[in-house]
Amino acid sequence: MTFPMATSTASTAAAASLRILPAPATPSSRTLRFPPILRRAPRALLSVSALSKLSEASPVPIPQEPTQTLPDEDSIPPRPGVYGVFDPAGDLQFLGISRNVRASVEGHRRKVPADLCASVKVAIPDEETPDKSVLTNAWKSWMEEYIAATGKAPPGNVAGNHTWIGPPQRPADLRLTPGRHVQLTVPLEQLIDRLVKENKVVAFIKGSRSAPQCGFSQRVVGILEAHGVDFASVDILDEEHNHGLRETLKTYSNWPTFPQVFVGGELVGGCDIISSMAEKGELAALFQK
Amino acid sequence: MMGSRGTSAVLSRAARMRQKLQSALEASALDIEDVSYQHAGHAAVKDNANETHFNIKVISPKFEGQSLVKRHRMVYDLLTDELNSGLHAISIVAKTPKELGS
Repeated sequence: MTFPMATSTASTAAAASLRILPAPATPSSRTLRFPPILRRAPRALLSVSALSKLSEASPVPIPQEPTQTLPDEDSIPPRPGVYGVFDPAGDLQFLGISRNVRASVEGHRRKVPADLCASVKVAIPDEETPDKSVLTNAWKSWMEEYIAATGKAPPGNVAGNHTWIGPPQRPADLRLTPGRHVQLTVPLEQLIDRLVKENKVVAFIKGSRSAPQCGFSQRVVGILEAHGVDFASVDILDEEHNHGLRETLKTYSNWPTFPQVFVGGELVGGCDIISSMAEKGELAALFQK
Repeated sequence: MMGSRGTSAVLSRAARMRQKLQSALEASALDIEDVSYQHAGHAAVKDNANETHFNIKVISPKFEGQSLVKRHRMVYDLLTDELNSGLHAISIVAKTPKELGS
């Protein structure tokens, strides 16, 4: 039996961006790989080659106390670039790429344990606003240099390590069907029934959970997230994957408006009820059931 | 003829809602506030639509012993016609006379 519910894999995008692609060995292979930026390629090559190698860049110490300010803006500029953070033993912990290196380093030293942030090496392209490919190529060349020397990626860049770049994006919204072109083998009502019973907490909202299209949906998502609830979301406005859901769900739940929150297969209510339960401190108990 | 549609067409939605809720729920207090202006430009609100969003606060002895979901359903059920004719969303506070103090 096939189960027509599909989840998006978009949340793996962050991890994918850390995957190391083979370096473009020659300018010609670069043009093959990135035809649209052919025009800018010579400039990009110049800036990358102008950046020092990871091993040759000089480390800038990061003060241990968060109250102490970072070294001057010449050594850690508030500009686009790549950077590597080293622990007190001089081992590379994380290789980063940023539109504002100074702000990123500042962010790391606040969030990451101090024994991982002792110094930073920085490479800043000459241009004020370098092309993204300049930055990614610089990052790749440092990463390849490090892997060639040590045989592994820095700990903070290994997939699943959230010390430096935080947990992956919010989970994707669930979809009832793979798309409108697919002929459903079971009634939509049955799909809804299965979905709310197989997921402990389900919020049917207008828009995606990362960008709700309605203030009430937004409030419900905010409350659930604030309570650390692990919930599934379904975008009832997604006509491609959830066609017909709006009307069918109203009948299924005997509830005429959205958002709708289900816990353990039962409708708990909409925005008013969830808000009121949150105010009374009743939500935690509900989600522990 | 405009006049032949009867009185319900002349009444505003707010007034019709008041009638329905008041008589069915024997409400001891009933506030109906039109907040449609807060949702102007809302994706689901069609051009020039008004009376689409309301805040309703209703105190009724009939809510006694009913869960929040059931109370909201009672209100929604009374307003089915309105929900099917352009009423888009209502925010509901449904209490019993006993709960008023809390």
